[in-house]
Amino acid sequence: MTVVPEEKAAQLSAIEESGWGAPYRFLRPDNVSFWVYVLGVGGGALTMLRYYGPGAAFYTPALAGGVVLFGLYLVPWFLLLRHHNRFTAQPGALLATGFIWGGIAATFWIALPANAALLDIWAKVGGTSFAADWGAGLTAPINEEWGKAIGLVLLIGLAPRLVRSAYDGFIIGAYIGLGFQVFEDVLYVYNGATQLYGVDQLGSSLQVFVIRGAAGIVSHALFSAIFCAGLMWVLGRARGERKVLRGVLTMLMAMVFHFAWDDMGALGGGTLVAAVLPFVIAAVELVALFYVLRHAAGTERLWIRELLGPEVEAGVIDPPLLDAVSGLRKDRTKYRKHLHSRTKARHLVEATNDLAQEIARAGGAESPGVAHARTELSRLRGDDPALSESR
Amino acid sequence: MVASGQEAPRDWVPVEHRFLGLDRRTFKVGFSALALALVLIYGLQGLNAAIPWHNEIRAGQVLDLGGGATAVPPTGWQLENGTLTGDGAASATNLQVVLATGGATIELDGTSYDGSAAGFLDQVERSEGDPPSVSGAQGSVVTDAGLVGVVEGRTGPSGDGIDVAFKMAVGTTQAIDSAPALLVRVRAASGQFEKYQDAIAALLRSITPGVTR
Repeated sequence: MTVVPEEKAAQLSAIEESGWGAPYRFLRPDNVSFWVYVLGVGGGALTMLRYYGPGAAFYTPALAGGVVLFGLYLVPWFLLLRHHNRFTAQPGALLATGFIWGGIAATFWIALPANAALLDIWAKVGGTSFAADWGAGLTAPINEEWGKAIGLVLLIGLAPRLVRSAYDGFIIGAYIGLGFQVFEDVLYVYNGATQLYGVDQLGSSLQVFVIRGAAGIVSHALFSAIFCAGLMWVLGRARGERKVLRGVLTMLMAMVFHFAWDDMGALGGGTLVAAVLPFVIAAVELVALFYVLRHAAGTERLWIRELLGPEVEAGVIDPPLLDAVSGLRKDRTKYRKHLHSRTKARHLVEATNDLAQEIARAGGAESPGVAHARTELSRLRGDDPALSESR
Repeated sequence: MVASGQEAPRDWVPVEHRFLGLDRRTFKVGFSALALALVLIYGLQGLNAAIPWHNEIRAGQVLDLGGGATAVPPTGWQLENGTLTGDGAASATNLQVVLATGGATIELDGTSYDGSAAGFLDQVERSEGDPPSVSGAQGSVVTDAGLVGVVEGRTGPSGDGIDVAFKMAVGTTQAIDSAPALLVRVRAASGQFEKYQDAIAALLRSITPGVTR
């Protein structure tokens, strides 16, 4: 196998810069971020127990309904986010750390007391009618977006090698936001039941599930993905990714979306606009989400190309497959058409991702994992019929 | 495999970076995150405590209880939550009004409940379990508009109070049962209830049902 040294150097540089393959260890008693995380999640868990504790027995049907319904609601979300955790994919344990921060610390340790205080401040400064109309939208985007983003900052502290690019911020932000969203949803189920003093608890939890579940498609997971991608651009932790203006504007955009969603009633003004506003805001949010995703993925796509460069040179993968693996949806669609087989294209893309991951794990060296991943690719391409049949 | 002897084990912290068992290189990120969290949690609470309320009820102002229902709040009390008539639209089934003055608060909570006012008050008490207070016998209260409410007194270590439950309609039993419910909660510090009794009675008497009910 002949490998051009420049390409090998680019591969090693991509592995180093992306931190891909570096192990993630949560238990780091020598790391301040670990203790701040423990304080936040511990404080949040205590607040959560105090919040639900007194009424937990009476409101068991509502709480159980909320936990089951929103637990099921998580399944498609995890599948969707798993699909987007591509390129230099983040380890599951790191994403779980973010999810728990969003659900427990950001919601109960930060947002609950901070929101109560800021809502009161708006009522004092602008009057109760002003607070009723605009208070939520002027409160949540500040407290909740920053509360969730603290989780990303702590993960940078816990895993500085792994959290590098804007795309890392996008994916981790989405997990933190999803955690916040479902824990807040269960809180809304509980509050809804207490507002009715426990009448028809299952019915009220189902009602909250339908409303919040639908709204959740363009809610906290989306806000945080955008906000955290913006924060990563401001921090500029990858070479060439320090784009402060773009980062600040992206963060502000997430906060404006959050504001618009929370103050939709006041923005609609009780007119016909109010009926169409949710759909308009949702459409704008989704367009912005994919715009941010596309730009955030740029550095990671380059890393993947550099990481797999020597494999292209060696003929293990061909350029169209490299384009599909390092590209966007349209590139993968193009590759499917090129192969005339959706299944084969999907298998080859996934097997190439496996190979990239094994190369990153091995730090660019040869390893049994790398050798096996190459063999798998060869088998899937049908290079070795004997091998293919023996599987 | 033989260790090269030049590469440090993973997560090894050189001695010059150690401080009380912590890696000093992690201080910047960790303490920045902590500072931001503390500003959000305690900074906003401190700012809130430093700003006084300026929403004093003036003579002639009327509370919007949703769906056309109203009440006249006592003048001089601070409106901490809720809407006055003409300021916006309140919802009768999702209503939260808080009035406060030194040593006493009045909360008006509107919700949906299918049944009588007495049944609603029982449901409220069931949902709250055993509060750390002693409740008195239930009585009736009638507003100037003819609404009939059920009132129950409470005495506890933190002070005295009353809970009054209304169904916001007059007329047939069917109309009353299907109308929104309103819970008025008055809480006063020990020995302070008598001082506010007239103001509270005036507010209760002033409650009117919605014109469309």
